[in-house]
Amino acid sequence: MNRATQAKLLRIHVSESDRFGGKPLYEAIVDKCRELGIAGATALRGVEGYGEADELHGAGLLRRDQPVVISIVDTADHMARLIPEVEKMAPGVMALSDVKVIRVQQGA
Amino acid sequence: MLTNGPAKRVTIFINEDAQRHMTPLHDAIMSYLMRNGISGATATRAYSGFGSQRAMHSAGIEVRARHLPIRIEFVDAPHKVDEVLPELYDMVSDGLIEVQDTSVVKASGTQAEPSPATPREEKKSAATLLRVYLGEADKWRGEPLYDAIVKKLRMMDIAGATVYRGILGYGAKGHEHKRSVFHPMRDLPIVITVIDEPAKIERAVAAVEAMLEDGLIVTSEVEMLRLVRCSGAEAVHEPGNPS
Repeated sequence: MNRATQAKLLRIHVSESDRFGGKPLYEAIVDKCRELGIAGATALRGVEGYGEADELHGAGLLRRDQPVVISIVDTADHMARLIPEVEKMAPGVMALSDVKVIRVQQGA
Repeated sequence: MLTNGPAKRVTIFINEDAQRHMTPLHDAIMSYLMRNGISGATATRAYSGFGSQRAMHSAGIEVRARHLPIRIEFVDAPHKVDEVLPELYDMVSDGLIEVQDTSVVKASGTQAEPSPATPREEKKSAATLLRVYLGEADKWRGEPLYDAIVKKLRMMDIAGATVYRGILGYGAKGHEHKRSVFHPMRDLPIVITVIDEPAKIERAVAAVEAMLEDGLIVTSEVEMLRLVRCSGAEAVHEPGNPS
C-alpha cells in the first residue's frame, strides 16, 4: 500500500463467543488475513450490541458474549481475495467502505 | 468572553500605597477592570523593586518595606483593552503601563453554563472521519502516544476524539498485538477516531503524522449530524455587561 491512495476499509462484525476451527472466530479471521498477506487487521471489542438474531450481546456474569469488530484496511484487489474467504467463515455482517490512506509505515 | 487567538496583555506597575479617592489605587484599578467586563486580572505584590525615584523598595529591609511595587496584569481582546486604556492612563498617575501583543492558547472557565432547558440544535454537514491505528506501547516524550495525540487534538480545538483498545491485531510493525499470560507487558492495538470538518481534519492529520512513528492514518468522507445544546454565551459579549 502506498501513501495517499484510495483503499478499502472492511469491517466484519462477529460475536466474541463465535468459534471457528477450535479458536475464537475473530482470531481465526485475523490469522486468515496474515495468511493472505493483508496489510493489517485490528479486532476491537464492543461494550454492547445486537444483530441479526435480535439478541443483546453483552458481558454477563458467567458469559462473555460481547460484539467484536475486525477492521481491515488494504487495497481493493486484496479485499477481493479476502472477502470470499471470510464469507466462508463468518455468518455476520461485513461492510466495505472507501477510505484514503494517508500514511503507512513499515517499522524497523 | 476571552477567545483563543490574538489578544493584548497589559501590565501595570504601581506603588502599593498609591491612593485614589481614599482607596488604594490597586483596588480601584481592579474593581474598574471587573466593572468593565475584562475577563480576568491579577494583582501581585512584589518582593522588591525600584522605579523612577531610584530608591530600592524591599520586603527584606523593614524601613524600606513601604512603597512596595504592585503589578497588575490582564489579558483580553484588543478592542476591550482599547476601551479601558484611557481610563487606566488617567488613574495611574505615578507608575508604568505596558501593552504587549500576545495570543491566547486556552481560555476556559465556568462561565455561562447552558441551562438544560434550552433546545438542542442540529448541525448537519459533510465531514471527514479520521482513523489512526497505533500500538498501546507507543510513546511520545515519555507518555503514551494515544494520550499525547488526544491532548494535541484538544488543543487544536478538534470537535472530538475517541480512543479504542483492540483485543487482537497486526499491522505496520509486523508483530502481532495480543495479550497473553506470558506477555503481561501489553502492546494491544489502539484506534483513535476523530470526526470534524475537512479543513480541521487536514490540520489534525499533519499534527498526528508528525507524532506517529509506525502506524496507519486513513480518512473517509462521512455525513455528520451533531446535536448541540444552544449555549447562552452570546449575552456576555454585550458591552458593559459584567461577566
